[in-house]
Amino acid sequence: MTYDASVRKDSDGLSRATGDRPFWGRLAGWGPYRAFAALVTASPRRQFVILATFPILWLLTQHLGPMLQMLRVSLVDAYPVAQDAPQAFTFDNYLRFFGDRIFWMPFFRTLTFAAVFTFCTLIITYPVAYFLARHVSRRNQMLMLLLLLIPFWVGEIVRTYAIMILLGNTGAVNLVLKWFGFIDRPIPFMYTSFSMGIGIVYLTALYMLLPLYSALEKLPKSYNEAAADLGAGAWTRFRRVTLPLTLEGISSGCTLVFLISTGFYATPVLLGGPSTTVFAETIAGFFHVAGDEWPTGAAFAVIMFVAALLITGVFQRLMKALRKGDTA
Amino acid sequence: MSASPLVHIDGISKRFGDAVALEHLSLDIAQGEFVTFLGPSGCGKSTTLRILGGFERPDTGRVILDGEDVTMQPPEKRHVNMVFQDYALFPHMTVRQNISFALELKGMDKTGIARRLDEIMSFLELDAYGDRYPGQLSGGQRQRVALARALAPDPALLLLDEPLGALDAKLRGQVQRELKSIQRQTHKTFFFVTHDQEEALTMSDRIVVMNHGRVEQDGTPEELYFHPASRFVAEFIGETNLLSGKMRGVEGEAVVMEWFGQTLRGHAPSGVPAEGAPITASVRLEKLGFHSSRPDLPNAVQGRVINRTFLGSRMAVDLLVEQTDGAKLRAFVDAETGQAIGDDLVWAAWDSDSMAVLRD
Amino acid sequence: MNRGNRIALACVYWAFVLYVFVPLILMILMGFKDSKFIGFPIRSWTLDWYTGVFSDAEVLYTFGYSVVIAVLSTLISVIVGTWIAVLLEGRRFWGRAVTFGLMVLPALVPGIISAIAFRIYARWLGIEPGMGAIVWAHAVHNVPFVSLVVMARLSTLPKSQIEAARDLGADPLIAFLRITLPYLVPAILGASVFCLLLSFDDFVRSFFLGGYEPTLPVLIFAMLRSGMSPEINAIATVALVLTAAIGIWAERFTRRTNKESQI
Repeated sequence: MTYDASVRKDSDGLSRATGDRPFWGRLAGWGPYRAFAALVTASPRRQFVILATFPILWLLTQHLGPMLQMLRVSLVDAYPVAQDAPQAFTFDNYLRFFGDRIFWMPFFRTLTFAAVFTFCTLIITYPVAYFLARHVSRRNQMLMLLLLLIPFWVGEIVRTYAIMILLGNTGAVNLVLKWFGFIDRPIPFMYTSFSMGIGIVYLTALYMLLPLYSALEKLPKSYNEAAADLGAGAWTRFRRVTLPLTLEGISSGCTLVFLISTGFYATPVLLGGPSTTVFAETIAGFFHVAGDEWPTGAAFAVIMFVAALLITGVFQRLMKALRKGDTA
Repeated sequence: MSASPLVHIDGISKRFGDAVALEHLSLDIAQGEFVTFLGPSGCGKSTTLRILGGFERPDTGRVILDGEDVTMQPPEKRHVNMVFQDYALFPHMTVRQNISFALELKGMDKTGIARRLDEIMSFLELDAYGDRYPGQLSGGQRQRVALARALAPDPALLLLDEPLGALDAKLRGQVQRELKSIQRQTHKTFFFVTHDQEEALTMSDRIVVMNHGRVEQDGTPEELYFHPASRFVAEFIGETNLLSGKMRGVEGEAVVMEWFGQTLRGHAPSGVPAEGAPITASVRLEKLGFHSSRPDLPNAVQGRVINRTFLGSRMAVDLLVEQTDGAKLRAFVDAETGQAIGDDLVWAAWDSDSMAVLRD
Repeated sequence: MNRGNRIALACVYWAFVLYVFVPLILMILMGFKDSKFIGFPIRSWTLDWYTGVFSDAEVLYTFGYSVVIAVLSTLISVIVGTWIAVLLEGRRFWGRAVTFGLMVLPALVPGIISAIAFRIYARWLGIEPGMGAIVWAHAVHNVPFVSLVVMARLSTLPKSQIEAARDLGADPLIAFLRITLPYLVPAILGASVFCLLLSFDDFVRSFFLGGYEPTLPVLIFAMLRSGMSPEINAIATVALVLTAAIGIWAERFTRRTNKESQI
């Protein structure tokens, strides 16, 4: 190869090439593009500003905006209002919740249910995740996990409906029980906290399974072997080694499932009964009637969100303390 | 080329947080030179390379390339190309697409690109691999593609960031010779960065040894090897005997030092130390000769061989020196000589030119 | 001991598989039952419910409506989510942690609260309930999922790839288009499918932001409230088969391309 001066020259005369140029060469040499690129990439600082402006604006207006607007509406006396109608600042919407016991029951029920269902989901999915991560070969792990993912691509409503068919008075469970002669008359599973629990666990299991699985999968097998070597029995090994090291996965899975569980609306409506009304239904009620109930609904939503965040916050703190205590 | 250097580095410094990566580095590189920056990790060699490539901006100082101040220029504007440590070949592009990447962006037309591709691919013996993807190539082939890609736009300066690190030992020697011959044939200026002293010695016209962001020594491989300026250089390049003694004075060309009551004569490439100062001198292993009687050389000590290590073509001999507190000297001799030296007292001797008095 | 454990755990796994599959299988079976009455046992079979569904203009329209919403919202989510991911995975900047928090916010807000917050905000922005509002709400809600997937992929792109492109004469924009974007394709495709499914399956936001035209989940919900009918089984089964098929395909595709692009 010789020193080819023509190549170097080309770089100085971008626009002087005579023949047909490839797409990227044409783009890089195209005047308007060069002007645009020069403007955008003039300095790392400007580049960053241009990269960051749109996302920051989006996050503030689209992600934070709805939350702030909800907070604002919860603090006014009327919304939506006719144009130029007066709108006054008030705490009444919040006081309404604290002043009327009728709202307390669904509120506490929602939080209790969410906590109980989260715990159930944890108990059910932990062994499944453990089995996948610990006792299955790498190749099969993926397949067996994929198998579990399939039902979760199906929507909330369809899956809720499937649970209705399973648990109905003429549903599969009652049919089987009758066949085996355990019962004469169908057990009314439906429209109870039981049917609701089955449905919600069904809907949220994946959000627990995945964090648990990834936590367990990251855990080196040698830890357990070392513990066994030191004479720890299976239960001790689990309690002293596996469990503490997967607390982080448990913590994030539980947080996620708890937050999701508090927000279900359709599932409690379809699977629950009058005795299981959840706060989501209370909140929704304020938006179904025409008129100025929105501020109350917004206030109730804020109360619920704050309560859910507080509970998950305290929970995460606790888990963190537990983790620290174990490593110390 | 004109008499002015291709690259003129003018007092560049760089810090990353509290860590000093480069401290006031000034250096010229001539057109056609194969310069190697050598040093342990964190010595500032990679930072210098990245500043030349345009990936970092120095805190102070300037970089002049071909008469033009490029300190603030982004990488895409410089006539400088780089062979990355991990090659950084684009996995979704074929070998041809990888190599033509820069040519397209230079605005060359399709026939020009094809001509240049054929030329460079045949030069680097890559003709058969044009339509393969990087994932389908061996380590050595990838390395050549990376080189071809960087050479294709005919850069004024080629930067090589430890490009041989990923190759196995056997292939490395072959690639070293190839690289050197490519550099000779293309008359390109190579700026090579490595922590491997052997690599540096084999290929370079000039080696710059770096430590803690400063230049320890700058010279030809021979100068660095036989006349190290500092203890760091002596220890970093090759194996050496270090003798700690006291400065006595100057006698003509030679520097006189005292070592366990004996007078030794050496030379001081990095300047003559003050009289009475504690000093260290370096003697390369192959510079020591063995004699049964005291030879006519400025430096000779008596001792007993305590250990022999067979190394194939040669032998390493450890000598316990008499009348010291157990000082040892190590020497390379050919295998027969090594066997011939008995367990009796022998003389080990070396010339004053073979002993360099070092800067600490 | 260990072996006993293993068998017990395997039983739990397969029991869990039954738990997640049996309800869906029962539902599918029910769609072929030749009776207006939902429930077991099934004595005779029919395809009438399916032919009914496929000739029901309202169902078909709703189906198309849901698909259009899913596609439009996914387009927005993917562009915005990728942009945010590129910002967050790029150089460190002041306030990055807060930005990340804001990014995941919509995914963490419980469904009902998210729905009414969007309802209020849409009203404030002057967006009428209907397709536009649903597309917007779905788009915002799905952004975090795109960003998280793309960020995970982006974090595995060696820095030297971009530097090499710049070194060879590409400005930051061309380097992004020619190197970063092709590298992100599997992640973006995977995230797109996930967004399509999330949007297509979403009930609570569609319910609160919808106008007079229901999306498919809202239609099924409305039908369920007025009583179960085998037609719902057919609709739900079609939706199920479609979503599961797309999901499996996407999963396989992502896995394959992920493997291929490894150097």
